[in-house]
Amino acid sequence: MTADEARLSRPLGEVQIAELTQALAGNGLWIDFGAAIVRVQSDCAVFAAQLRTVYGQFPFADQSEWADLHVRIRRPRGLRRWVRPQVKFQYDSQQPFEPFPADSPLPLFEWGCNWLIGRRLNDVLLLHAGVVEKGGLALLLPATPGSGKSTLTAALSQRGWRLLSDEFGAFDPEAGTFRAVLKPIALKNRSIDVIRRFAPQAVLGREFPKTRKGTVAHLAPQRDAVERRHEGARPGAIVLPRWEAGSPTRFEPLTDNSVFPALAFNAFNYSLLGAVGFQAAVRLVRQCPAWRLVYSDLDDALIAIETVWPQVVERRRASPK
Amino acid sequence: MQWPLAEWERVVRLSRRLRLLARLAEGVIAAGLIDRVPPEARRHLVAERCLSRWRTGAMLWTLERVAIMLGDASYPRVILKGAAYIGQDLGIAAGRLPSDLDILVPRAHVPDAQARLIQAGWKTVQLDEHDSRYYYEWSHEVPPMTHPLLGMELDLHHNILPPVARTHVSADVLLERLQPSKWAAWQVLDPADQVLHSAAHLFHDSEARDRIRDLVDLDGLLRHFGATPGFMARLPERSRALGLEEPLALACHFCVKWFGTPIPAEVLETIEAIGPDRLRRTWLLPLLGSALMPTEPDDSPSLRQGVAAIALLARYHRQRMPLRLLVPHLWHKLRTARHAADDVVDSAGA
Repeated sequence: MTADEARLSRPLGEVQIAELTQALAGNGLWIDFGAAIVRVQSDCAVFAAQLRTVYGQFPFADQSEWADLHVRIRRPRGLRRWVRPQVKFQYDSQQPFEPFPADSPLPLFEWGCNWLIGRRLNDVLLLHAGVVEKGGLALLLPATPGSGKSTLTAALSQRGWRLLSDEFGAFDPEAGTFRAVLKPIALKNRSIDVIRRFAPQAVLGREFPKTRKGTVAHLAPQRDAVERRHEGARPGAIVLPRWEAGSPTRFEPLTDNSVFPALAFNAFNYSLLGAVGFQAAVRLVRQCPAWRLVYSDLDDALIAIETVWPQVVERRRASPK
Repeated sequence: MQWPLAEWERVVRLSRRLRLLARLAEGVIAAGLIDRVPPEARRHLVAERCLSRWRTGAMLWTLERVAIMLGDASYPRVILKGAAYIGQDLGIAAGRLPSDLDILVPRAHVPDAQARLIQAGWKTVQLDEHDSRYYYEWSHEVPPMTHPLLGMELDLHHNILPPVARTHVSADVLLERLQPSKWAAWQVLDPADQVLHSAAHLFHDSEARDRIRDLVDLDGLLRHFGATPGFMARLPERSRALGLEEPLALACHFCVKWFGTPIPAEVLETIEAIGPDRLRRTWLLPLLGSALMPTEPDDSPSLRQGVAAIALLARYHRQRMPLRLLVPHLWHKLRTARHAADDVVDSAGA
């Protein structure tokens, strides 16, 4: 290993803040989510530390030939640099939305990157879903906001399931596999404490109160998930989660025709892809057994999933296509 | 295709911002070269082509629904720009990213067309009194209309430039020479008028920054229709009839200079002779050149480009409205913008 390779193979979490800040202020930092690479530049002093916590396992790269997304997190000039200071999100010299408070570059970066990914990754079917993997098979958790999808995805990722994404079910119709869009999981409001209690060893970034989704804190992806982010996962099963206060765990099988709309009509680019999107969604519904999971207790919900998983693996072994 | 990856990155970023990425994709795919594009860039080309085809499909569906509503009307119905290019199977239709559907009917029939559309569920955006007066009295189109089921905004025009503009285009002259499109319900402008409309749109009607795609359209129109004998020679005379000599001269100037568009020398001479005079050319051409030339993806517009943009915006407003209308209009815009800004700050603080 040359000195340069050694310098570049360090995880971000081991890089000095000063070096990160310098990279952000200069050429930028390249972060590889798996299905997309972002190049980010910033002149915002607190950003480096926020990034380092939640992207700690990602390799450090301050030069590269290619990025899919080009993002700048900038402090505005003029009054807003000093009075109620803000940061703004720019891509390719365009500014698509309103600035955030100056102490919140990370939520702005995460939100903006998701927005760009949702618009740009039209070479794959982008379902709005969490995806985790075990034994080479993907468990897809499609859901509407507020259903507890991120919480359940986060919990699974802390109990031996490999995280691919908590937001994007990026299904590659040609390869027939899900691709990782690996980013920190944005936990909201009560989920933050739920996950802290559930997995005390989990690495969480600082809390950002008063975002448009309430308080947000980001859960850092683990090393194994980062190292394997270019590894796809074949469709395994679908679980539609719904968190209900005080509810006993209910785990009910679903028919194909009730799962299809949960995939297709809850996707970023289903209609854009036309026939390709339709065929991909049909294929997923036909290949994957599906359940509805209503839960209030995370441990109990995970037991329900773990109980059926051997059947899922067995079924796939029996008909590998 | 032999570019290093970093160059591909630059090309993908720039052409996406300029809304030319899907056009690039269609061209590369049609030439059978897509497999030679590095995979990192290839996926973006393919993805943007999907986006373009989807938007085009949405526009065609909208057009079909609108045709049903206006189908038995007694007056001409004309499709403009992107829809017209598809309606004539022009090569430049491939890879466009339509954001709205532009149609034109004679001014006297605008109320009827609008009433039919409203009956079909189209809605006009809510406007304050000033803005609705602006549209009805000073504009060449009615306020943009939207439909809850059709994903495309509809612009209903009665002219290609505002009636109060310094350059007054006679809609009657346009309507005299309508041509059939491939759809019975719709006609298109005369090919020369299509060139003039595109040129007027670029050089009269809006700001020039990042508008190089309009020049690409113009290059495509000139190359396509230019193959018809006599077409080029008709352009100067037609531009005179419509009062669009200046935009035609500017369009030809930049097309020839930047894209090598084949325009016969004697036609070009005539076009230049009836276009802006020498003095006007000495300041206008460099200004437009700066404003049209795209900035690098990572650069903000240069000071020169900023100045050019402001100067051209001033020219645009001057051309569009006489000062006695422009000053009150800008005053109103400033006031409403300030109120809107206050609202945003208030709601952010709440």
